[in-house]
Formats: sequence, C-alpha cells, structure tokens
Amino acid sequence: MSLVVDDLHAGYGRLEILQGVAVRVDTGEMVGLIGPNGAGKSTLLKTIFGYLRPFGGVIAFGDESLVGLRPDQVLHRGIGFLAQDGGLFADMTVHENLVLGGYSLRTRGDVEQALDQTFTQFPLLRDRRRQRAGSLSGGEQRLLGLARALMVRPRLILLDEPSAALAPRFIDRVYDAIVALNRSGLALLIAEQNVEMILGVARRVYVLDLGQNAFDGSPAELRETERIRRLYLGEVA
Amino acid sequence: MWESLLEFLVQGIILGGLYALFAVGLTLIFGVLEVINIAHGEFFALGGYLVFAAVVLLGLRPVVGIVAASLGAFAVGLAVYPLLLAPLRRRLGRRPYGALYLVLTLGLSTFMQNGLLAVAGGEYLQVPPHVAGILDLSFTALSYQRILVFVVAMALLAGLFAFLLLHRQGLAVRAVAQNPEAAQAMGINLGRIFSLTIALGVGLAGAGGALIAPQFNVYPAVGLPLTIKAFAITILGGMGNLLGALVASLVVGVTESLAVMVIPSEWQNLIAFAVMVLVLLVRPQGLLGRAVVR
Amino acid sequence: MTTRGTWLGGLAVAAILLPLAVPHPFVLTIATQALIWALLASSWDLLSGYAGQVSFGHAGFFVLGGYTAAITSKSLGLSAWLGVWLGALLAAVVGLAVGFPALRLRGHYLALITLGFAEILRLVAQNWLSLTGGPFGIYGYATFSGLPADPLLRRQALYVVVASLFAMAVIGERTPAGKAFRAIREDELLAATLGIHTTRYKLLAFALSSGFAGLAGTLYAYYVLLVSPTLASPATTALVIGMAVFGGLGTIWGPAAGALLLYGVNEALRFVGVVYNLIVVGLIIMTFVIFVPEGLAGVVRRRPAPRVRRSPPARSTDASRSIGG
Repeated sequence: MSLVVDDLHAGYGRLEILQGVAVRVDTGEMVGLIGPNGAGKSTLLKTIFGYLRPFGGVIAFGDESLVGLRPDQVLHRGIGFLAQDGGLFADMTVHENLVLGGYSLRTRGDVEQALDQTFTQFPLLRDRRRQRAGSLSGGEQRLLGLARALMVRPRLILLDEPSAALAPRFIDRVYDAIVALNRSGLALLIAEQNVEMILGVARRVYVLDLGQNAFDGSPAELRETERIRRLYLGEVA
Repeated sequence: MWESLLEFLVQGIILGGLYALFAVGLTLIFGVLEVINIAHGEFFALGGYLVFAAVVLLGLRPVVGIVAASLGAFAVGLAVYPLLLAPLRRRLGRRPYGALYLVLTLGLSTFMQNGLLAVAGGEYLQVPPHVAGILDLSFTALSYQRILVFVVAMALLAGLFAFLLLHRQGLAVRAVAQNPEAAQAMGINLGRIFSLTIALGVGLAGAGGALIAPQFNVYPAVGLPLTIKAFAITILGGMGNLLGALVASLVVGVTESLAVMVIPSEWQNLIAFAVMVLVLLVRPQGLLGRAVVR
Repeated sequence: MTTRGTWLGGLAVAAILLPLAVPHPFVLTIATQALIWALLASSWDLLSGYAGQVSFGHAGFFVLGGYTAAITSKSLGLSAWLGVWLGALLAAVVGLAVGFPALRLRGHYLALITLGFAEILRLVAQNWLSLTGGPFGIYGYATFSGLPADPLLRRQALYVVVASLFAMAVIGERTPAGKAFRAIREDELLAATLGIHTTRYKLLAFALSSGFAGLAGTLYAYYVLLVSPTLASPATTALVIGMAVFGGLGTIWGPAAGALLLYGVNEALRFVGVVYNLIVVGLIIMTFVIFVPEGLAGVVRRRPAPRVRRSPPARSTDASRSIGG
C-alpha cells in the first residue's frame, strides 16, 4: 500500500505554502522529509492527514484518494499521525491515552489485546500506566505517543519532528523504536530538523524548500550532491 | 436562630442542586466546544413544557414525564450542532471568532423562546408536584418534591461524571475538550462528539426544567433568570471546569438562600451577577482555576 | 470609499426625506423609532463590530440614557433639550468606567461582564422604587419643548438621530480613531507593536459607543414618554445584535440599515401577531450569522480576496536556486 502525493498545493487560509509537492512512500518504507524551517514539512504531513484541505493535487493511499477526508477518516484508512508536540492528553493517564489510541477498535477485547501488545513492546509504559501523561519525561512522552498511534496497527505513520525538544539519549531511544517498527513492516514518513538522525535510518529522503521539492534520493546520494550538502546539511544548527 | 439558619442552609443546598444541573451542562458545552450556549434556558423551559404535556395533557406518570422531557431536550439538542454550529464552523474555518457563535446561540434562544410563546402561549402553566408529602425534620419541613429535585439532580450529575470517567465515549468527550486535533488522530469524529456533548448538556437542563416545573411553573421565559445566573456560576467555578461548576452552584445556592435573611428578596438575584462581575474583575479564571474538562 | 459615501448619502437623504414626503403619523412613528434603533445598533457596532470588543450589555447604556432623561425631566423639571445630552453624557461616562475593567478581558469574558452589567442595571431599575419607579417605570414627563405641531417633533428627533449616525460613521471611517479601532479588532497585539495606544482607543470606543447608545435611550424616552426596566432585558440586546448582524458587523452604516429594515419588518409582522416577529428575528440572526456573516453590507461590497503565494525571500545570487524538484 503506497502513499502517493503529487502536485500538491496547500496552505493556511489564503496563504499557499506547498506549491506543487510530490512525495511517495512505498509499503514498509522509511522515508525522510527535511528542509529549512518553514519549508512546508509540517504542512505536508497535516495536509496528508486531513487537518488541512488542499487547494489542489493528488493524495492517494493504495488506490483510494485521501483528499477531502477528515483526520479520523484518514486514520481508518490505516494511516497514523504523531504531532510535533506529541499530541498527548497531558491530563489523562498513560493508560487512558493508550485506550484512546485504540478508540476505533471494534471490541473491548481488541482494545485489551492491543494494550497487552503495547505493554510487551514498551514495558516502561506498563510501569507508568497510572501516571499522568504530562508527568512523563520528554522521551517517554514521545514513546507513549508512538505506542498510542500503534494501538490500531496502522500501515503508515506520519511523524512530525519526533526528535524535537528531546535530549540526545532520548532521541536515540525513540529512533531505536522507530527502526524496530520499520523492520516489522511499518511504513514511516518522518519530517525532521535533526538531519543526521534521519539520514542514518531512512531509505530515501525528500528535501523541501519554500514549498517545493528540492531533492529526492537516498541519503548517500544526498550527501554526495555538493550543493545540497552545503545548503541543507550545513544549515542545520 | 440556628434553626432558621439550618433551614435556609438546606433550602440553599437544594437550590444549588438545581443550579448545578443547569450550570454543569453549560460548562460541559463550553469546555468541549468553547461555545457559551445562550439558549440553555430555553431547553430548561422545553423540559417544563414536555413534562406538562406528558403529565397534565396525557396523564402519564410523573416518572415517565420527567424521563420523556429529558429525552426530548436531549433529542432536540442533538440537532443543534449539525444544523447551526457546524455550518458556521465550516464557514469560519480555523479562525475561532467566538463572538459569532455567541450571536448564533443568542439567535437560537430568541427563536426558541418566542417559538414556545407562539405554540403554547404565555400563561404560567401549572404542574402538580411529582411526589406528594412532606418530610418533617426538627428544624424545618421539606416537601418530598424538593427532595426529589435534589436527589435526582445529584444522581444525574453522578451519572454524567461516571460516563465521562469510565465510558469509551465519555473518554472521547474529555479528549476532545483537551486536545481536539489529537482526538481526531485517535479516530474520534469531532462532529459526533460535539453533538453528543450539546445533547448531554441541554438534556440535563431539560431534566432540571421538568423536575422543578411544579415549583417554578411553566412559561417560555422561565429559564432566563437561570441562564444568566448560570453564567455567573460558571465563571465562578472556572469556565470548562465541571467540578468547579458543581461546587460554585452549591455555593451560590446557599449564599442566595442565606442572604435572604439579610437583604430583601428582590435584590437576591443581584448577588449572582455582582459576584460574577467581581470574579471577572479579580480572577477571571474562577475560584478553582481554568481546568479543562478532565 | 466613494461608492460607500454615495450609499451613506443616499440612505441619509432617504431617511430625512421619507417622513417629510409622507407626513403620515404612522409612517413617522415607525421611521423615528426605527432610527432610534438604528442609532443603538450602530453604536453597538462601533464597539463590538468595529473595535472588536463584543458587548452583550448595550441595553444597559440604552436604559441608562433613557432613565436619566426621564428622571431629570420628571423630578428636576429639566428641559428635554438638556436631558438628551445629560443622558448621553452619563452613559458615556459609565461606559468609560465599564471600559476600564473590560480592558483586561477578551471574548467570552468581556461578553459576560457586559451582560452582567446590563442585568444589574435592569434589576436596579426594577427594584429601586423611589428612584426608578420600579417595574412600572417612569412616565408623565415632558418631552422636547418649544416644538410646533406633531410632525415637526418627529422631524427634529430624526435630524438629531441622523446627525449622530453621520458623526459616528465619520468617526468610524474617516478619522484615525476608526483605523485604530479596526487595527485593534484584527490583531490587538500587532496594533500595540505598531505603536497604537490600544488602551486609549479601547476606552474611547467604549465611551463613544455607550454615549451614542445613551443618546438613543434619551431619544426613546422623549419619544415614547415611558421608560421601564424591560428596556434593559436581554431581548433588547438580542434585537440590537440581530439588527447589527443582519446589516453587517463592523461597518457602522450596515447595522443602521439593518435596524431600519428589521424594524420595518418587525412592525409589519406585528399585524400577524406579537409573538411571531421575534421568531423571525431569531431566525434572521441565525441564518445571517451562518450564511451571510458580513450581513447586507457585505453583500453590497463583496469582493473575494485572492490567494496569496508565499514569495521567496531575497536571497543572494545562488545558482542552486534552480534545482529542479
């Protein structure tokens, strides 16, 4: 099941941010999305997931168009979303967050089963299940967000800067989990400011600049291209 | 002296119970939708009219009448979001021009109140007490009707809290109140939750109207003083804070009741507004702080 | 601007000529009362639509003006000519006073505190028997003195009202204050950083708006010759807001036109039955807020705004800009 985005124009209100962007994520692929601040990475992910309605273009998952669908409808098509700020319900417990992650599961049994699986995969969450989500450390929160998104076993997850505001050791833990998930067949489209991290794990990367595609290829190809390296890799603080 | 104090205290608590039914529903709607339902009082009045129709016109038992009235208000409430709020939200997009929603519910209030007036006339309709009899306590005598109002109000509110804490959809309501975008990412249909929330909120108001109909009588504007008072209570408890609304309701009920001992009763209504203005000036987030629906 | 000026001019001319052209007492009555509401509606718009400080308590200023006029004329025997300005002035002062605490509040809170203010005034009017005559209000006072026959009386009020409308429209549109109001409404933080004294202008908006509302109140008092607490009821505010939404928020003249039209509709429907006209008002409010939020004024001057492309910032000459996607 591939995600195909082509000639996408989107933005906020009357301001057009994405000016004809094209992206593709194949089954089980891990794809990176990098570019300067304001390039449109977040906007792209939000538009795919349905938070924003595109002005024009193609968004398809498998052979189904996602254009005009609400976020909850996109979720039902098998795509998950992890917001930049984590999107957690900070005042609720870890357990409640996870249960909400399984909101669209059909039966209570399914939810229990998914919970069991989640706790096996992320034992630290089991220890903290009664704790208020907002009281977890940054890295734990990010893992919770990931675990929560996995409750419904999506085929593809959109991640908006998973390493944002995290200490380096947490970033490693989060990416370890991401890599493991990818190995088990989960496709990922990851927007990142932390270029080094994503280049180390992604199969392909897209570079966005000013709302347009600026590069598309493997991390190795990216590093080789002198100009790209200078412009984008050099820009990272 | 202590006896009359106790008597007023009890009356105040009972009054507070009714206020709570009203104010908690209002706060729930605000906490989830960020909209102040100015038409809340009209659903209260609707509850009164429905119980009148059920009990006086159709001769049904009071229990049936109260349930029917609550469900009726609930059902009408379900239509409010899809018919009125959703189109406005679609038009406004991401800009939360809150004032326009206020104006919308104001229009609904005008429409409903005068609709009731047109359909049922303006006379004060009478409903016999749902339960007869008086409980004799040493310091006062309480009618069972009054006790019924309080008990049922508390039961309904307990039910609401249980729903919000334990039920899957209740969890969804709280999620939407806290973080609507994240809630959507969980697969929650915002529109459905909004509809459910409004229906729950006005359903409580309708139940209140049905319960208190024997005492307040039934007429189109019966909900008006309550609505305005509920605004004050909601501010006091912190907008969006359900527990705060409950506590503030009881506080206001008791204060009003006790104040009768000191000031003439016509000025009683002033208390709530004076308090509200005071709170808005000093501490807009209310006594218990602005906590979102937990 | 010119088109708008023509509209305003045309409206004003029509308003002035109407009662003169058709000196039928019924028409004059409706026209005068309609203009009083128009003044009230546009005063509300000045504060809520124009300056963006949405008030739900304008009925309070209206009633304040009305009662001041009635009380000064009845108890102090003051001439209506004086009472009119006294009422407006008092309302403006109180409006200014209300404006101070309101400075810190936004949105819902502001709406509620103004609502509370109006309710408090209504309850005071209802209960302070010695001063306000209680629920029955005040009546039996003299109106404008030194006026010839009846139709002329109407004309005088009309002229005052229209002149005030113009004054407000002028303030709103032409003077720097109007621009400041609009800037504050759009983005208060931005306005402040641009050097606009937001506090000063917000207070000015409150004072002006409440002053005009009070003026409308005095005119009402001297025209209807009866003031009662129900004037400060939420129904009055609802009617005013309905008229403003119908006419178009933030335009000043829009709510005035909306008031004229809606009042005409109201009166016409009164033949059908007292209850139905308010139902229609409620329906109009809801429909217009949803489907035509810019109101009649918006319909008049609607032009869709083009989509904006984010333009690339000026970068140093770098050939790499030409990298294809």
